[in-house]
Amino acid sequence: MVDQLPNLGREQEMLEAMGLSSMDDLFADIPHEIRRADPLPLPPPQSEEEIWADAQRLLGANFSLDDRPSFLSAGLARNFVPSMVGMLATRGEFLTSYTPYQPEVSQGMLQAMWEFQTLVSELVALPVANVSMYDASTAAAEAITCAVRVHNRKAEQRNTAYVSQLVPPHRLSVIRNYTIGAGIDLRILEHGPDGHIDLESATAAAGCCAVYVEQPSALGILDTGLTDLKDVVGEQTALIVGVDVVSLGIVEPPGNWGADIVVGEGQPFGIGPTGGGPIYGIFACSEKYLRQMPGRIVGQSWDVDGNLAFTLTLSTREQHIRRHKATSNICSNETLIALMGAIHMALLGPEGLERLALRVAASTEATKRALTAIDGIELVDSGAHNFREFALRLPGEATDALKHLDGLGVLGGLDLGSWWASMSKCMLVGVDERTSKDDIEALAKGMASWVRGTQA
Amino acid sequence: MSDLFSFNGAEGAGWSQPEPMLGDDAAGPTVPEGLVRSRLPEWPRASEPELVRHYTWLSNRNFGIDTGFYPLGSCTMKHNPRLNERIVQLPGIDRIHPLQPEHQIQGLLAIFYEMQEMLATCSGMDVVTLQPVAGAQGEFAAIRCIQEFHHANGEDHRDKVIVPDSAHGTNPASASMCGYEIIEIPSADDGRLDLDALRAAVGEDTAAMMITNPSTLGLFEIEILEATRIVHDSGGQMYYDGANFNAIIGKTDPGRMGFDAVHYNLHKTFAQPHGGGGPGSGPIGVKGHLAQFLPSPIASRRESLDDDPRGVGDGHWYYWRDVGESSIGKVQQWHGNAGAVVRAWAFYRRYGSDLERMSEHAVLNSNYLRYVIMNPGPKTSKAIHAMPVEGAPADLVMHEFTLSLSPLKELNGVTGKDVAKRLLDYGYMSPTLYFPQIVPECLMIEPTETESKEVLDRFAADFHAILSEDPETITTAPHTTPVKRVDEVWAARNLVLRHPGRLTDSN
Repeated sequence: MVDQLPNLGREQEMLEAMGLSSMDDLFADIPHEIRRADPLPLPPPQSEEEIWADAQRLLGANFSLDDRPSFLSAGLARNFVPSMVGMLATRGEFLTSYTPYQPEVSQGMLQAMWEFQTLVSELVALPVANVSMYDASTAAAEAITCAVRVHNRKAEQRNTAYVSQLVPPHRLSVIRNYTIGAGIDLRILEHGPDGHIDLESATAAAGCCAVYVEQPSALGILDTGLTDLKDVVGEQTALIVGVDVVSLGIVEPPGNWGADIVVGEGQPFGIGPTGGGPIYGIFACSEKYLRQMPGRIVGQSWDVDGNLAFTLTLSTREQHIRRHKATSNICSNETLIALMGAIHMALLGPEGLERLALRVAASTEATKRALTAIDGIELVDSGAHNFREFALRLPGEATDALKHLDGLGVLGGLDLGSWWASMSKCMLVGVDERTSKDDIEALAKGMASWVRGTQA
Repeated sequence: MSDLFSFNGAEGAGWSQPEPMLGDDAAGPTVPEGLVRSRLPEWPRASEPELVRHYTWLSNRNFGIDTGFYPLGSCTMKHNPRLNERIVQLPGIDRIHPLQPEHQIQGLLAIFYEMQEMLATCSGMDVVTLQPVAGAQGEFAAIRCIQEFHHANGEDHRDKVIVPDSAHGTNPASASMCGYEIIEIPSADDGRLDLDALRAAVGEDTAAMMITNPSTLGLFEIEILEATRIVHDSGGQMYYDGANFNAIIGKTDPGRMGFDAVHYNLHKTFAQPHGGGGPGSGPIGVKGHLAQFLPSPIASRRESLDDDPRGVGDGHWYYWRDVGESSIGKVQQWHGNAGAVVRAWAFYRRYGSDLERMSEHAVLNSNYLRYVIMNPGPKTSKAIHAMPVEGAPADLVMHEFTLSLSPLKELNGVTGKDVAKRLLDYGYMSPTLYFPQIVPECLMIEPTETESKEVLDRFAADFHAILSEDPETITTAPHTTPVKRVDEVWAARNLVLRHPGRLTDSN
């Protein structure tokens, strides 16, 4: 504490200058009935050294994904972030600034975010991107509310949006919370038993306000059927696609096959999984949605001398101007993490992105082959093309398999029963660019020994 | 000018990576025909030295707390201790997944639990969740809980949320996103809550009132107990916007004031860096009757048992508690901004039971700065064209205060915005401008506890110097910043929202 308060010990001098005599005088406006009489029942203050020791002890009790073969992804990537990313983004001028309301002294972050918008726009092949959402789930949720505002007037199915059946329950729950107040009727867009979109039943969604699908799906499936979806649902329905940002190094970006809004988890670019946050969501769209978009947007402009300059723009959409009529309540976003993402994307470059995607694809394929070679283990969808994730059908409960693997020091993946009760014998295996042959071998050996155990 | 998209090195320039494990060909078939990317994105091709220089150049064109005094009212721009940045680099937070089994994340759960308990203690609430990732999301989550509470009581007809006209814009925006109609009540002449207006606004349709205390004018709402009584009598719930929590810790709390739900801004009160706009963290706390509606899950603990795996060594086993069927579910798909929670934990540990000192110094600095600004010496007074007036008349303020520059505008046309821009020339971030909207030509100033008396004295002196300057100098400011006044209208009319692309395209 002593090192944080420059005026400690000088209180009297400052109070006297104002004609006050005690610190208590400053709080005279707080009525007696609600004044706290006793000190806060909290432990005593600590020094930096003591806090560091406690942090090392407590966080040291956590198991780092890097210390063991890890196949838990489920929407977050056990990525490698180049060293310069964190070092540059946490320069004090970036780290300790706030929303650039004063563009004249905020050109650095404004330009960096304008460049971020460009990097995202190029990645997903749509013309406009914002400065970030909280994560993939709120990006998807606010894409739906945005699309309903744009399409509701002309929609045949008003206040209605369809969401892919394969959107996992935690993400769907966020979407429900964000759409309930707007009175949006959420319906389920069916997929076939093989996990691919059922274009026949998708005709039910024609004329609604928005359709939300994911490419790849939460089960890692790359679905060619999605490229026909826009034709099925029609011009007056927004096609919203959630992406794995890394996959776009080899997979055609949704902007090129009809998507009107693209969202996704930006985390693989810029920051480690960090226990689930802070991470950032990307949000890009075609011009039609621009004025109903959530979030901050940076525009290019000029200063009075004609120098190139950047500034926040379209602020009339936002809560600090429009209050209850704002397009979103978002104020603080994830700018710093988006900056980390921008630096990471910039260093990758186009071919670096492609290489990264190929590495993940190669890991996916290699892991898939190693596991399906085990008798008794099948792919949930054997014909599918997967990226990063794939689902296995096991000869027993996935929780048992994961416990067995855990005992061997392998983090095996996700029990799909935790998402969908009917899939308790299925496991979601996730890989990344760092998955090694040794990791795969350890997983395969562990699975094989578990399968043998179930047959014994 | 350094332009990211002008870096156009050879193909493959940039980050060096290992080969894909099976060679590039093997991965080919994993993308089905018809989905293979036809053209790579037009990203720059740049080496590490070029990019380090680019982002360093950009950082030099940006102003943070580290650069200078940042009195941005309502945002609590306090110093961000660097230890916290070091801690979040530890693999035990950077390299963990929120869905790892509980025995692998005992340390994270223990920190979450400690933070939940600390926030509950400081706010007088019963149960806290750390899931919301920003103040606005905390508001949204808590109002959703209140909505479900009324629903469970068969009171869906409660469809209105009351906010004072001095409220943060996020309050009405968050309630509106939940589907509520907003009733905005005017402040009284002294800037404080108008109880008569509140009495006129409440009724059987009242779902909740959202209010911050101290208010955005920096005033403590003296009649807050009566306000909570009026709202509760109507059957409504009281929501505390914790944006100004930095002013009151250890002195009073929203529980004592009668609130039912509250959000905390860990990026304000607990020094999570603001990062150019985020990340934040916006935990919420509630009284017992709302606990069953909170987002799920919440960190919990029990006594360790003999056959538990190794924990953190404090005799407890930590676990995620599912809130149950009445929970609103999730507002962020994981457990919130865990990295921000860990930083805030490290910050809180510095103060512990002395958090009260933090609030005392925040209020001391605010009152002191207001006093020195409003009481210039005779010589300075004489030189000043027109003194600002208080945004609201009061003997005391809390952690922030407002000034109206209307007298200067009336005298010579110099606006609040002009003065704000001129402050940039003197090496300060501008205070919050034109908010709250009820104060004309408003500057809202929050110095925080981490500024020294010397900084406050110098700022006041420089502020006086500006008020004494030739109007032309002020209206054409800033003069010394990386760019001069930016044309925001041009930006909004032309909407150039991305770089046009590489100047020379080698694709």
